[in-house]
Amino acid sequence: MDLFLQALINGVMLGGFYAAMMLGFSVIWGVMGVINLAHGEMIMVGAYLSWLLNEHVGMDPFASLLIVMPVMFIIGYVLQLILINRVVDRPILVSLLVTFGLSIAISNLVNVIFSADPRLTDTALEGAWSVGNVTFPVTKTAIMGVALLIMTSLWLFLQKTRTGKSIRAAAQNKQAARIVGIDINKIYALTFGICIAITGAAGAIISPTQAIFPFMGVPLTLRAFTITALAGLGSIPGALFGGIVLGIVESMIGVYVSGIGTNLAIIASFVLLVVILITRPQGLFGGLRPIEEPVQL
Amino acid sequence: MTVPPNRPPTKSRLVLLVALLVVLAALPIVMTVFPDQTWVTNSRLFSFTQMFMLITLTSNWNLTGGFTGYVDFGHAVFFGIGAYGTGIFMNEAWPFWPSMLAGAVLAAVFALIIGYPTLRLKGPYFSIAMLGMFVAMREIVRVAKPLTGGGVGLTLPPYLNRPLFYYVTFFLAVLVVGIMWWIRRSEFGATLIAIREDEVGAEMRGINTTVNKIAAFVLAGFLTGIVGGLWAYQNTFIDPDGVFFPSRTVELVMMAMLGGLGTVAGPVVGATTIYWMRDVVWANLAEWHLFAEGMLMILIVLYAPQGIMGKLGDRSGTSLLRVWRNPLRRSALEEVPEDEVSV
Repeated sequence: MDLFLQALINGVMLGGFYAAMMLGFSVIWGVMGVINLAHGEMIMVGAYLSWLLNEHVGMDPFASLLIVMPVMFIIGYVLQLILINRVVDRPILVSLLVTFGLSIAISNLVNVIFSADPRLTDTALEGAWSVGNVTFPVTKTAIMGVALLIMTSLWLFLQKTRTGKSIRAAAQNKQAARIVGIDINKIYALTFGICIAITGAAGAIISPTQAIFPFMGVPLTLRAFTITALAGLGSIPGALFGGIVLGIVESMIGVYVSGIGTNLAIIASFVLLVVILITRPQGLFGGLRPIEEPVQL
Repeated sequence: MTVPPNRPPTKSRLVLLVALLVVLAALPIVMTVFPDQTWVTNSRLFSFTQMFMLITLTSNWNLTGGFTGYVDFGHAVFFGIGAYGTGIFMNEAWPFWPSMLAGAVLAAVFALIIGYPTLRLKGPYFSIAMLGMFVAMREIVRVAKPLTGGGVGLTLPPYLNRPLFYYVTFFLAVLVVGIMWWIRRSEFGATLIAIREDEVGAEMRGINTTVNKIAAFVLAGFLTGIVGGLWAYQNTFIDPDGVFFPSRTVELVMMAMLGGLGTVAGPVVGATTIYWMRDVVWANLAEWHLFAEGMLMILIVLYAPQGIMGKLGDRSGTSLLRVWRNPLRRSALEEVPEDEVSV
């Protein structure tokens, strides 16, 4: 029972990270109709920024968010202006191919600069406290806390502010948004910037617990896709739900299948993805966008 | 939408093609007869072998990605199954050729099993599902330790005979391009293109789209499995990271796009161009070359999505090569400039 509870807690905590890291993916897809296959690479870049600050300035990864998020925002804003903007109105496969190329380019660039050695950051938030026989590692609790904070602020931003409302308007009906005077290009760049900032932050907070390396991106992108399929596009409560479901599944398999559990957990998330796509292509709750035309490029 | 006719090649082109094939076939003989010259060496034969493999792989990818219009981001999964199948059977002390065939059959069976559900997915969902399949297979291979050696990998009996591999891959590349040329001219090929252009319409006309899609997928998987087996034997060592190398699946997409999707010559042109660019130019870039490859892919998609053969097809008027362009043109036409809209 304790083992089960522990696995459940670990899964929920992992799920918090998953929810935070996939949110940008799902919002970009929902607002702009772009499937960003370079999403995992953005997490990786955020993690490396945090590692740089940790290694050379001695900054705590959680404190480094104050620098990582603005830098990632600028990266995302510029990327949108010079690259993604060219593919937004094109069929979805074009953006898929372009971001796939971007993913290869970024991961190999980082590989050249930092080599493939896995790295970890040090954080002051160490140790654990326990309730009964169930332990709560402080680092993971902090990750969960930051993830919830990020998600709540994004939700408040999208619901309550004028800019947030413009973003939602652009997602609902681009032409109508333009007619009422919303500068679509600016809104898209802003959305991309914010989403990349959140994504980079997710990379920064995970860096103390998971080794970071240049090619960590693709499995994370696929997980983001799995959770989007579970949760639907752009829905923040859905992201939390989907993230926690995936986190619990992975953590349970990791605990109960000895030896090869961690690899099996990775397989499970992809099998889940393929099964959801095959059985319910519209997403578990019908949240995925239907593909209007069979094949386009 | 009309599918352009597929004309037989003109006589002068045929002569040129045969001359090229004869020269390529003669290269290893040149090496044995004139051992002193430095142009044809073992390492150059090795380069050509790699290039022939890439041409074969890209042509296979083009069968599902270009002809049928199902852009597959995980085609290298069949390469991996072929390689591991060959490796596993050879470690059971089977000889090479039956092992390779068994590996390719495994890849084909796998294509059959996953093709039925995944080919029902449309557009990006198919691409992502296949990418997921590719990554999942790498982990499965890592987990299935008793069979595949896990992360440590498998060692195959070493066998160093560059001319043999050269001829086998050369023959395979010619054979596969020939098959693609035949498919393109056959009813089967026309069916595949009909599926790409309008799947519902094709179904309405009485085409069994499921069977045709799966047939193309299984054929591509089988041929790619053969290449995987050859690669494993030539490399003499396979491990999950080497076989399921992430960029292996990307470069196929890129080469086919550079050459021209949905054309017979496109994959050959694309694979040859990128291979020699990598060999000659990017050798100087050393570890930067994968970064350059990613950037090149972005540039191709943005500025030359119809590929080299598509561009050539424009000028010479042989419309065989412009199949993939039509959807692009259609989407360009749909964006009517605002001042041209009549009220």
